[in-house]
Amino acid sequence: MSTAFAPLTESLIRHRGVLGAMVVGLDDGLIVHSTLQIGVNGNAFAALTASLYRKARRSSNAAGFGATGFLELAAEQGRVCTAGGKELVLVVVCESRVNVGLLRVELLRAAEQLP
Amino acid sequence: MKFSVVAPWVETPLKQFVDDARVEIAVLMHPTGQVLGQYGFARSVDVMTACALASAIHSTSSELGRQLEGQPFSALHYSGRDRQIFLGTIPAHGSTLVLLAVFDAESSLGLVQLFLEEFKARVAASTPPPVSEQAPAMAENFERDLNRNLAQLFGRA
Repeated sequence: MSTAFAPLTESLIRHRGVLGAMVVGLDDGLIVHSTLQIGVNGNAFAALTASLYRKARRSSNAAGFGATGFLELAAEQGRVCTAGGKELVLVVVCESRVNVGLLRVELLRAAEQLP
Repeated sequence: MKFSVVAPWVETPLKQFVDDARVEIAVLMHPTGQVLGQYGFARSVDVMTACALASAIHSTSSELGRQLEGQPFSALHYSGRDRQIFLGTIPAHGSTLVLLAVFDAESSLGLVQLFLEEFKARVAASTPPPVSEQAPAMAENFERDLNRNLAQLFGRA
């Protein structure tokens, strides 16, 4: 089903190494819109990453650093990148080989359009 | 906060669910309101009240589901100002159990739903078959069994 967020996720999924892109509710961790490759457990990524982002945002505020802009989790075999607004976050699941610099620019640009 | 369970097999799945989903309160019960295990309550009267209300909500929402979609709703979520409640059904060897979870901003509906699926799998794996044959007590035995379960939970059995 196409939503107003489809152009955002579709622009991100085109990057080499990106396995999925989702718009996720920050408070409830539920998927609002997603474009995923087969085999990606979107619900789990959405819930866990939204939780991580909330905690990162609280940590950043507690440290007096202001709003969290971009969150990247690098693991052995992949990365999860997140950027968000006040209510929604963009979550991108990708392989290690992804061009993180380019993805970061695209992600931050896309996140500006989120409420 | 202490876990208390009536049936030993409940403890591991319930503890894991509470740890993973970061809920404040979790109560596993029969749809009739008989408690099997709980985390978060300190007084038996609170468990009794929560179970009675959850059982009533479950019955109502199940019937609403039947009226609207021909089958009971499997989950219910209500978001309050500070806390949220989630009521989900858990299949267990042909019967159904009900899980009541209360959570705040430390958790989220997405996390609760995510770990509910794992909880269902653990319950399915750990429920001993004889338990499924023991139907929840009704009518003349209900109150006696309810009180016995609450007494077991709070160490007065």
